[in-house]
Amino acid sequence: MTSLAAAQVQEVRSITRIERIGAHSHIRGLGLDDALEPRAVSQGMVGQKMARKAAGVILQMIREGKIAGRAVLLAGQPGTGKTAIAMGLAQALGPDTPFTSMAGSEIYSLEMSKTEALTQAIRKSIGIRIKEESEIIEGEVVEVVVERAAGGGGARTGRLTLKTTDMETNYDMGTKMIDSLLKEKVQAGDVITIDKATGKINKLGRSFARARDYDATGQQARFVQCPEGELQKRKEVVHTVTLHEVDVINSRTHGFLALFSGDTGEIKSEIREQINSKVAEWREEGKAEMIPGVLFVDEAHMLDIECFSFLNRALESESAPVVIMATNRGITRIRGTNYKSPHGIPLDLLDRMIIVPTAPYSSQELKEILNIRCEEEDCQMSNDALTVLTRVATETSLRYAIQLITTASLVAKRRKATEVSMEDVKKVYSLFLDEHRSEQFLKEYQDEFMFNDGAGDGPQSMEVSQ
Amino acid sequence: MDDQAKILKFLVSAEKLADEILSDKREIVLLDKRRNQNREALRDLTKAQQKKCWVTVGSVLVKHNFESTKALLEADQKQLNMDINTLRSNLKVKINSLRDLEMQAPTPGLTLVPLSNKETEALSKSGIL
Repeated sequence: MTSLAAAQVQEVRSITRIERIGAHSHIRGLGLDDALEPRAVSQGMVGQKMARKAAGVILQMIREGKIAGRAVLLAGQPGTGKTAIAMGLAQALGPDTPFTSMAGSEIYSLEMSKTEALTQAIRKSIGIRIKEESEIIEGEVVEVVVERAAGGGGARTGRLTLKTTDMETNYDMGTKMIDSLLKEKVQAGDVITIDKATGKINKLGRSFARARDYDATGQQARFVQCPEGELQKRKEVVHTVTLHEVDVINSRTHGFLALFSGDTGEIKSEIREQINSKVAEWREEGKAEMIPGVLFVDEAHMLDIECFSFLNRALESESAPVVIMATNRGITRIRGTNYKSPHGIPLDLLDRMIIVPTAPYSSQELKEILNIRCEEEDCQMSNDALTVLTRVATETSLRYAIQLITTASLVAKRRKATEVSMEDVKKVYSLFLDEHRSEQFLKEYQDEFMFNDGAGDGPQSMEVSQ
Repeated sequence: MDDQAKILKFLVSAEKLADEILSDKREIVLLDKRRNQNREALRDLTKAQQKKCWVTVGSVLVKHNFESTKALLEADQKQLNMDINTLRSNLKVKINSLRDLEMQAPTPGLTLVPLSNKETEALSKSGIL
């Protein structure tokens, strides 16, 4: 009975552990060597050498803080790795540099003005680094002695003996410290920290040396090493917070809970100004460092003329993040106007940008990418199946071929095979239509569909509305 | 030959610095040990009833005047605190120069001035830290 229950618990756990595999989850960096030369296949990146090298140069400039206030445009056909490069750049920057990713159309669906949404995105991409310092006493409890005054009640005194691997010492304690020790249920064998300024006691866990004290322990029992070195330590913690987080917390109507609910609403400009001046003050005193991060705007052609002119102005400001945009459009209408412009971006903004083109992949590179995706999706694929899939990718699109990997592996699993064979790929290829075949089908049978206007002159060129 | 000399020079400087860092850390531990012993002694003195008390100097036990013992210990305590603080702040500089020798970027935020208690409290209360 118990084993059954245990098995069920195990099952529940394994379900929660499943993570979804994203379209770019295989990207771990830009795949460059120390001299910023792109390796052929590395960190999930394949081909696209020129664009990756360019991204590497940009990365170096961001690290040295030289590029703030400029913009980069990744331009190329659909499925040529624009998002992958931006993701790789984010990974390569490390966890400390703020990276905000948004789609151009996101700004229209929020309950705030477009410029407010953009300002928030910009401030999400600027980090400040601050340091918190505290003197703490950290050690393993050897003994706690509490002496009660005769007659009960009244003042109590006590003694706490703490040790590290290097020393041991006694502390005499007053009533308040004893109370908080008792409240935390501190006993011999616990590893604790005491904040010197506030007297706050924090239980880190039980010492490994005491792991055999009891036969049964609760699930939450945590064992830690006995601390090393000095008892009275100086603890320094460096935090990186974004300006947006500070904004939200200081905008009084919402409070910090808004950070988690996402319901931040509009933030008054006075609050932003106050925070800017406070941060400037901290920087002058050496208390804070600015980290200009990266704002990535995917589908940048979806922004309209107001956004572009706002960005134009925002880039001028002293602490602007690096704005990276990606678009797959050619010469098209700028949203909100009747003028046409390359990439759908006004010329004055385009002039400020470094434009990095991405080119379509060669069939060898496609094969490599499909191979990496197979690994990412835990799918064994035979060599000829991969060749067929590469052929599919060259003739239709890379995205379609990647979708076939998962479906084909499911078909293979159905017939209990360990490896995906060519037949599996062929089967899913006939089961799922690609865009081109779907169009063909529609053309052939358009008379039988509803609301058919009978024109059937192929897809219209995409136009964005006002 | 020239290369070898260069490498040797580099290795010597890096090892020297690393050794200094380790010995500084050891030094801090020893100083803190003494600081804690002094503190215990001072505490015991406040409880003591006699006019004089026993003091160990190396391996010799000396009977010493109560007041001057207390003054001695307090002066020692002050000096220890100062020494530990200078060692700690010098350690940061040494660690960054070692990282520099090893072609690594300096540890982020190591040289920042910490926020004041009030600022830390305000920030942690609002849930940022």
